[in-house]
Amino acid sequence: MTRLDSRWASATPLLVLIGLCLAIAIVDPRFLSFGNLGRIAAAASAPLVLALGATFIILMGSIDLSIEGSMAFSGAVLAAFVANASGTGFDIGLAAIPIALLAAGAFGCVIGLVHVYLKVPSFMASLGMGFVGVGIATVLLGGERVGILDPNIRALALNRVLGLPLSVYVGVFMLAVAWFIQDHTRIGRHIMALGGGEDLAAASGINVRRVRVLAFTIAGAFFGVGAILTCARLGASSALIGSGQLFTAISAVVVGGTALTGGKGGVLQTVVGVLIVIVLNNGMIILGLPSFVQQGVLGLAIILAVLLNSPRRSLAIVK
Amino acid sequence: MSINDFMQKALIDRRRFLIGSALGVGVIGAPGLVRPAFAGTGYSHASSIRSLSNAFHAAWNKGAESFAQTIGDPHSALVTEGNSEKGIADIKAFLAKAGDKAILGVDPNDSPDARPIVEAVAAAKGHVVTVWNKPNDLHPWDFGDNYVAHMSFNGVPAGEQTAKALFDSFGGEGAIVALGGIPSNVSAIERKAGLLKAIEASNGKVQLLDFQDADWDSAKANNIVAAWLTRFGGDIKGVWAANDGMAIGALEALRAEGLAGQIQVTGVDGTRDAVQAVKNKEMAATVDWDPFWIGGIALSLGHHAATGAFSPSKEPQEHREFYGTGALITQADVEAYWKKNVEATPEVDWNDLWGRVSGQIQYG
Repeated sequence: MTRLDSRWASATPLLVLIGLCLAIAIVDPRFLSFGNLGRIAAAASAPLVLALGATFIILMGSIDLSIEGSMAFSGAVLAAFVANASGTGFDIGLAAIPIALLAAGAFGCVIGLVHVYLKVPSFMASLGMGFVGVGIATVLLGGERVGILDPNIRALALNRVLGLPLSVYVGVFMLAVAWFIQDHTRIGRHIMALGGGEDLAAASGINVRRVRVLAFTIAGAFFGVGAILTCARLGASSALIGSGQLFTAISAVVVGGTALTGGKGGVLQTVVGVLIVIVLNNGMIILGLPSFVQQGVLGLAIILAVLLNSPRRSLAIVK
Repeated sequence: MSINDFMQKALIDRRRFLIGSALGVGVIGAPGLVRPAFAGTGYSHASSIRSLSNAFHAAWNKGAESFAQTIGDPHSALVTEGNSEKGIADIKAFLAKAGDKAILGVDPNDSPDARPIVEAVAAAKGHVVTVWNKPNDLHPWDFGDNYVAHMSFNGVPAGEQTAKALFDSFGGEGAIVALGGIPSNVSAIERKAGLLKAIEASNGKVQLLDFQDADWDSAKANNIVAAWLTRFGGDIKGVWAANDGMAIGALEALRAEGLAGQIQVTGVDGTRDAVQAVKNKEMAATVDWDPFWIGGIALSLGHHAATGAFSPSKEPQEHREFYGTGALITQADVEAYWKKNVEATPEVDWNDLWGRVSGQIQYG
């Protein structure tokens, strides 16, 4: 693989995104109106934060299938600590946010501990804990959709600064945090090293177990932010708040160009991946495609993106 | 107090969510709440439902619990989590334990599941009532008395009535957009047919701008409505949704643009947040199936048949395969509904077996 090839491959998703936007805009110029771009940004903010969390795990060469359960759990904790439609729980206003995030981080940490110390493969540990998360949320919320009435939480989706909802700024802030962790902290570099080759990383003195647990904890906290944004947007918390988000997040990471084998890609690629998925969804509605065509297009787009992102890699095995 | 008691108590309380009791804030009921009031009748009851994570089935389970308590029998929820094999295996395990003392209320995960379930119950000489899904060629009267009845709800009038309420909200003339459920789903097909019927009856005064399937999902509905606002802008006079979850997702998309209350939304199911939205004049209508009643009456039918209170094979066919009744809730009558069903826990007469039968199921 020449250097030129790899450069070209990493720029592909961005070119795909630009091409998509132009194609949709030619058919319907309203796609590029400020109102619609704002709607795309608002729709992308929660999936972006979730995908950023998943990016760290995938960079490490593992997979996190707990997104829906982690979101359910943190959403339920959030609902328990803000003013809600059930009239029960503790109404402590904005102080509920750090509590929900701590709970989300702790949840991720447990996944990491199960994965590392019980030697359970990451996909199984995260999937199993995901079900546990949905279960806890079901018990906490009694299986209902519980409305969130706290105006401060709702403000994330309803209040606008410069024409964009606050959730968009939260998404951008989380992107900055993720980028900082990836490029300017030791844990970020260790995650990359682990994805590149675990034996080498261990041989050069990296504490592999610690890095894995920390990575799942960071991912958990990101899922918590994603859950809060989703609750704010839907005005309610429920055990099913994360339904469908796992597929969106993982496919966005892959479409952006982060390899499922680990060690290649990063958070900036994920932004492009999320935008491709959201722009596709938004654009297909604006173009008036029927639902069943949309699903097919989305599936093909993902396969195509993965193909474009792997320039003649000579892998012995594709797993 | 065992964890199981705690779970049951948490899920039984109809008016308060568990947040209260779980965190020790709400009124913790007396332990007697989940203990049988008296010795019971010797039967074992079970409800096979999709999950306890959605409002509809959570209420179903509460109704089933409530009925089982009134006669003092044990009840367990068998959760399929959308997995047909698990659903059937759990029912067989329950039958192995309870035998001919088994009373089952089943929401088959998929239509074909109903046949093996019914056959297993008949073989064990238990009693079963199915709800919503079954193959068209499977009939209770082919199984003597063990397959007591099948109950469903006609989605056509529900879709039609909510559509009419939506049209009235903008004076009967204008354009709407509509959100459907899972396209292969019987209730999604029926509700959509009802909507199309209402549009046809408007003689061209109401146009359907676009119809998209949002798979019963709030978040999906939210994104679709946001994109529709770009595509159709001010032309949208109303949003019709095939269930309340999508209606709430749509309503929040409108709220983010400052349009909540100006563009009316309708749903179907009668979940509490939707009824609240009707009360707030942000939704024009929803239909209440009363899942609490469904869960209890399914077991009550089975129990009455098992104890010989009535003999299913002697009943007319409209008591074996019937439509239940959905109650349309509009802004005009929401206050009365709220007082009766939310502020007070409605008293259900579990012995009134046929009070809500609205006709025999027709296969079109």
